[in-house]
Amino acid sequence: MYMKLKREEILSAIHHCVKCKLCSIASFHPNAEWLPLCPSGQYYGYQAFYAPGKMEIFRAILEGEITEPSDGLLNAVYACTVCGACYEKCKQITNVELGAPDLFEEMRSELASKGWILDAHKSIVDKIKETKNAYGEKYEYKAETTDQNADVMYYIGCTARYRVPEIADAMLGIFDKLGLKYQVMGEEWCCGSVLFRTGQVKAAKELVAHNIEEIRKSGAKTVIFTCPGCLKTFKKNYPDMGVELVHSTQFLTRLGNMNLKKENLKAAYHDPCHLGRDLGIYEEPRAVLSEVANIKKMKREKKQAWCCGSGGGVKSAFDDFALWSAAERLKEVKEAGAEALVSACPFCKRNLKEAAENEELEVYDVVELVNRCLEG
Amino acid sequence: MNETVSKLVNELQAIVGEGNATDDLAICTSYSRDQHWHFVPAKNPAYVVRPGTKEEVRSVLMLANKHKIPVIPYSTGINVRGLTIPVHDGSILLDLSRMNRILEINPEMKTATVEPGVTFGMLLEQTRKHKLRPAFPDAPLTVSVLANYYLRGIYQTSATDGHDHTISYEMILPNGEILKTGSRALSEMPYFRYGVGPDFAGMFCAHPGTCGVVTELTAKLYRLYDNRKEYFIGFDDVGTPTAFIYNLMHDELAASIRLVDNQSWLEGIFGTFDYAYDKLPKFVVCVLVEGVDSIFKAKDKLVRKYINESSGQILELPAEFARTFEDESLGGAEKSCMVFGLPGKGNYHCIGLYGPLTLAARYYEVHEKTALEVGIPKDHIHFYIDPIYSFHGQLCYFELDVFYDGSDAGFGEKLRNYNDKQFHRLLDIGIYGWFRPYAGIIEPTAERIGYLAEVWKKFLHVLDPNEIMNRGKLF
Repeated sequence: MYMKLKREEILSAIHHCVKCKLCSIASFHPNAEWLPLCPSGQYYGYQAFYAPGKMEIFRAILEGEITEPSDGLLNAVYACTVCGACYEKCKQITNVELGAPDLFEEMRSELASKGWILDAHKSIVDKIKETKNAYGEKYEYKAETTDQNADVMYYIGCTARYRVPEIADAMLGIFDKLGLKYQVMGEEWCCGSVLFRTGQVKAAKELVAHNIEEIRKSGAKTVIFTCPGCLKTFKKNYPDMGVELVHSTQFLTRLGNMNLKKENLKAAYHDPCHLGRDLGIYEEPRAVLSEVANIKKMKREKKQAWCCGSGGGVKSAFDDFALWSAAERLKEVKEAGAEALVSACPFCKRNLKEAAENEELEVYDVVELVNRCLEG
Repeated sequence: MNETVSKLVNELQAIVGEGNATDDLAICTSYSRDQHWHFVPAKNPAYVVRPGTKEEVRSVLMLANKHKIPVIPYSTGINVRGLTIPVHDGSILLDLSRMNRILEINPEMKTATVEPGVTFGMLLEQTRKHKLRPAFPDAPLTVSVLANYYLRGIYQTSATDGHDHTISYEMILPNGEILKTGSRALSEMPYFRYGVGPDFAGMFCAHPGTCGVVTELTAKLYRLYDNRKEYFIGFDDVGTPTAFIYNLMHDELAASIRLVDNQSWLEGIFGTFDYAYDKLPKFVVCVLVEGVDSIFKAKDKLVRKYINESSGQILELPAEFARTFEDESLGGAEKSCMVFGLPGKGNYHCIGLYGPLTLAARYYEVHEKTALEVGIPKDHIHFYIDPIYSFHGQLCYFELDVFYDGSDAGFGEKLRNYNDKQFHRLLDIGIYGWFRPYAGIIEPTAERIGYLAEVWKKFLHVLDPNEIMNRGKLF
């Protein structure tokens, strides 16, 4: 569950940042190329938007130097996808004890406790209260359990239900084509990810309790997620429920030979931040994708992947920034010579697809391609 | 907020655009500290301005000059020694990172002309296409080329590069006048340092933003060779390897020669924390030989001869260590920055100075003595030497380092005591000069340079009579 960090722990981490700013670029020497890593700093430019600057802001809040929620404060703190690229880079050259994403989420929690929250994020709480999903949608995504006693449950998540249903459709299609029995929650509530990521921790409690109870009642032994944000939240912010929590690509990898018909498609794989940097899942999506397409490698990948720009509450509050980040990724896809961009996250797909609206580039989730390549 | 202050933001925004000037407290706070915060306390600028062109820089400076508002130039945001931390209330921090164009790479002239926001990484990415590289500081390759050269223009990671990398530059003074140094003043050919009259490029260098704002600078580039060979030779003290280093320098044999202790910089040079460094001799001389085919072979042969005569221990190390050493020496510091993250430490303090190799052992001795006197544990005391061609005066860069836990306020106090003693002791032993001047080190030094200090102050007064340029960082 959410554990509040101690003030001394936070300040110690802040004091250990020497502001070398190597966290803002991908490892240079392997390719001798200058490749930015921090979308927020790169887009907004002020020091406040890079990790070292944000840390100074947090210090000033804790030490009582900042006592009002200015526009600059809210932008610097919330216009960050909390993608963790800075931390991955820092870890390579330091023994840093506390990750920047943890620190920045803690800062958001501190701000939220003072009521310093963006309207766009406040409204998510209201939407969730009313509809139990982060988008405030009132209609139901149609998905039905095929076997009440199935060991496997598919947790669909708000984004795949209400914004990119083709991902949920594809996952359910895979189950059906493979003849696998599964459960879906009768009443699936938002996992709370967006609330945890934006510091609104208290508002997530009810969601956590509900989803735990639903899983307990189902008797499922394995819960499958197509959304890495949901998976991370269940793993990091939920108590241990004694069930296995896996990403769709981990599940598919385990199935072994699925008799997939490989397509003649050049596809670049975009590592979702929550799946890669947060959960360390880099190989399974590539393994699955390689069964259905020819992978074209991008320069920034795995631990040093460029974020799609939509996480951490950014898409809902800073859409221009989110789309700019995605467009930067698209440039890299083209440079890699790919004709399709494939991710393994509904959040990534949604933002990247929107940015690619006028591009000759297809954007998929890996489960869509798998479903397409499965013999029906 | 009073009307003048509020109006000033509007005026700054009118110059650079609304999104590039602010007085927002949080944004300003992000510029309030660097790694030197145990010595220069946090202080916010009142405004942060991000000009995109030299015309905008000029307009901002003229506005600040008119209102006598302090201005702190800032390039890419990796700052040390508190040089960009305001001293005065109401300061404008001039963040030049938007000005990040490489204006020219001229392979025939072996030069590059850059704006302040160009980093060493950005520049190397382009120059290596021509098998050229800049001279690198022992600083992250995220730092500004222009600011580093302008601040001193002497670098260490490759001894061959010598000590002058700045050719000419353009600087805007507070009154809006534009100064061009060297041949740049006469023509569109900025490729010669000594144009007309005195060496103004030299005169304006090593003022930490206290004269004006340098908006473009032309620097030397150096050749990248395909033939390279590395050696690592261990010694138990600082004195013994000096004869070996002297031989290499005297005969101009090695591209990079670095004496480092085995518990700090060596970890960065080798690129890993995960090695039994304590099993190595206390000091290691890292040598990199490079050159054109037969010249390279001849140099390498002589280097091996001197190694055999040195009484040092030739270290057999994993092959990847040699590769990292090459990268760090000839490609800019990245893994070397591991010194910022040594286990249990996480901040660094150093006194960087120039002096003769003949005094190496004495510098180390006084470093250790003073550190122990003020209660700094022995395992926090670190040291390195980088000799510099053409080695007249046996010129070396020395760094007296202490890596420590930055969150330990008590350690900060020890370091302040260390500085109080050490600056004087080093001046008593004799040094050629500090790596670069900064508040704290300049005061005991100015006392010893006689009338030069007065002339220096008058010189600054001529350029900046209203004293708006980063005052408090020198005098």
